Amino acid sequence: MHILIVEDDEVARDYLAKALREAGHTVDVANNGLDGLHMASSIAVDMAIVDRMLPKMDGLALVQSLRATGRKVPVLILSALGDVDDRITGLRAGGDDYLTKPYHMSELLARIDALARRGDSGNSETNTKLKLADLELDRMTRRVTRNGKKIELTAREFQLLEFMMRHSGQVVTRTMLLEGVWDYHFDPQTNVIDVHISRLRQAIDKDFDKPLLHTVRGAGYSLREDE
Amino acid sequence: MSPDQRFLGVLDTSPFRIAVVYSIVFACGAAALLGAVDFAVSRVVDGSTDNLIEAEVQGLREQVQVLSRSDFIELVEQRSQDQDVRGAVYLMVDPQLRPVAGNVPAWPTVDADQGKWFHFKVSVPFGDATRVHEMRAQRFPLYGGYRMLVGHDVQERQDVKSLMMRGLIAAVVLTLLLGLGGGFWMGRRILAQAGAISAVATQIMRGDLSQRLPVREADDEINSLAREINNMLDKIEQLTLGMRTVLDSAAHDLRTPLNRLQATAEGAMPTLTPGSPERRVLERVSSEVDHMRSTLDALLRIALAETGTVAREPVDLSQLVESVVELYAPVSEERGIALSSSVAPGATVQGNRQLLAQALANLLDNAIKFTPDGGHIRVQLKGSSNEPEVIVEDDGPGIPADKREIVLGRRVRLDSARNVPGSGLGLSLVAAVTKLHGANLVLDDAGPGLKVSLKF
Repeated sequence: MHILIVEDDEVARDYLAKALREAGHTVDVANNGLDGLHMASSIAVDMAIVDRMLPKMDGLALVQSLRATGRKVPVLILSALGDVDDRITGLRAGGDDYLTKPYHMSELLARIDALARRGDSGNSETNTKLKLADLELDRMTRRVTRNGKKIELTAREFQLLEFMMRHSGQVVTRTMLLEGVWDYHFDPQTNVIDVHISRLRQAIDKDFDKPLLHTVRGAGYSLREDE
Repeated sequence: MSPDQRFLGVLDTSPFRIAVVYSIVFACGAAALLGAVDFAVSRVVDGSTDNLIEAEVQGLREQVQVLSRSDFIELVEQRSQDQDVRGAVYLMVDPQLRPVAGNVPAWPTVDADQGKWFHFKVSVPFGDATRVHEMRAQRFPLYGGYRMLVGHDVQERQDVKSLMMRGLIAAVVLTLLLGLGGGFWMGRRILAQAGAISAVATQIMRGDLSQRLPVREADDEINSLAREINNMLDKIEQLTLGMRTVLDSAAHDLRTPLNRLQATAEGAMPTLTPGSPERRVLERVSSEVDHMRSTLDALLRIALAETGTVAREPVDLSQLVESVVELYAPVSEERGIALSSSVAPGATVQGNRQLLAQALANLLDNAIKFTPDGGHIRVQLKGSSNEPEVIVEDDGPGIPADKREIVLGRRVRLDSARNVPGSGLGLSLVAAVTKLHGANLVLDDAGPGLKVSLKF
């Protein structure tokens, strides 16, 4: 994937570029908003990571200008502000995801992956039936079966599984789950998400040979067929 | 507001009340004035008429002694025809009450007990038609059963009096109507102005500090008050925006180096073998950055809530409480804690969903941290849909009565909580969020345990 980084902080930018290159991406960097907008408009990038506070042109203004020209390239906004409303203004300006500093690289990579694959996986948002190996989820009838056997889930477990299946094969972090399933944008101090996941794992994996719900150490979880 | 309520609202305004009081005072004054005029006029006019009749009676009594009957009849006829004395009436009747002389067609029926003065009515020509006039008269016997009546037409006086009465009533009614109408109009004006002011004030209270009170051209007291308040709002907005700017730059200045630290630590980690002392140091650094970040997040959110510059929208509190309880249910179950909830549906508050959710999450987080395994936590939402109350009760150690105020301050952790992980900002955030929403936070004894009540 070709990724553009627009970030004025040198340390953060260099590490980000290095990490993304190591993850196999092609990376271009800009250290101010104006250059960033130029590059995002002229180079065919697959994604842009834009810092919110940039010299010459504000990150939000950059995204707005980009959207005004009709460019639909996915944009992840990095912010060093206090959150709550800033997140909403960021997304309203045309950002597709929003991450507050300091962040873990694993969190950023998981979100980039989710953004890049949004819509192109077989389990996209419009599909009523989601499928992974022998696990099937029907959003219309709210029925979940594995190997033809019906699995009973609570409403929340169903939502959690639906989210995981739509991101199957990807790493899903705890904050992504909290945002995607509960619409909460804060960090609960206890391991609430882990317990919810272990409930779900009990329900879908316990009676079957091949586990589908995997823990990714230091990052989050992944619903996938192999391993 | 419905039209009915608006109408009743006008009746409650001070201009309307003042107008009512003034109208009544003016009406009473007008009535008293006209009454006094009427009284004085009656005395003068009535007195002169009565004197006139008395003198005439006296004269005729004397004449009847000296004149022959035919001469007296002639005198009466003369007087009756006399055009100089307008309105004077005379009648002389025989013992059978048949008129003998005078300008009254018939002897009026008079009750014997009516005394010296009496009134009667006579039809008199009035242009082509006739009109009934009221007469005031005295009667006295002549000789041999003949009787005499001397009086005066008082119709004019009655007309003037009734005209004055009608004028008086019209004046009073008009005063009252004008007073009430004027009062109503002024009341509506005031109400419209006050309504506009309170609508803006509500928006300002909701955090939209850019709003200003409407000010009109006029230099009346309401407008100058509104101008003063607007100046005050300018100042408050400046201060709040200043605070917000300080907060944003503080956030930026703290998050940026923390981000570099995290990046540096994470970037160096892959080059080191897992388990090596160097790697363990970096892992420690990374986890300390996480810890600092969560403390910073909490502090910034508290400060943000305190500036009041947070977007607000209607939040379904019932749904939110249920969702937060549901988020914590599995964790409490793992600890063998019975988490029960009773949530009244449909409670809505104007607020920030994220901050409210975090405040509720902090309360449950605290409850779970401090409740012993196998204990109980009870979450309730009760009260009316627009003034709901959220109560979280646990049967943990509780907070001693004298420490309850202190724990709501920044970073207070009681000695008994030293061994429990946490930033110590949980309740401070709850307090700030509660205040932001104009709610009331009360810590109480759940006997045993802590009872936290959030009353909106």
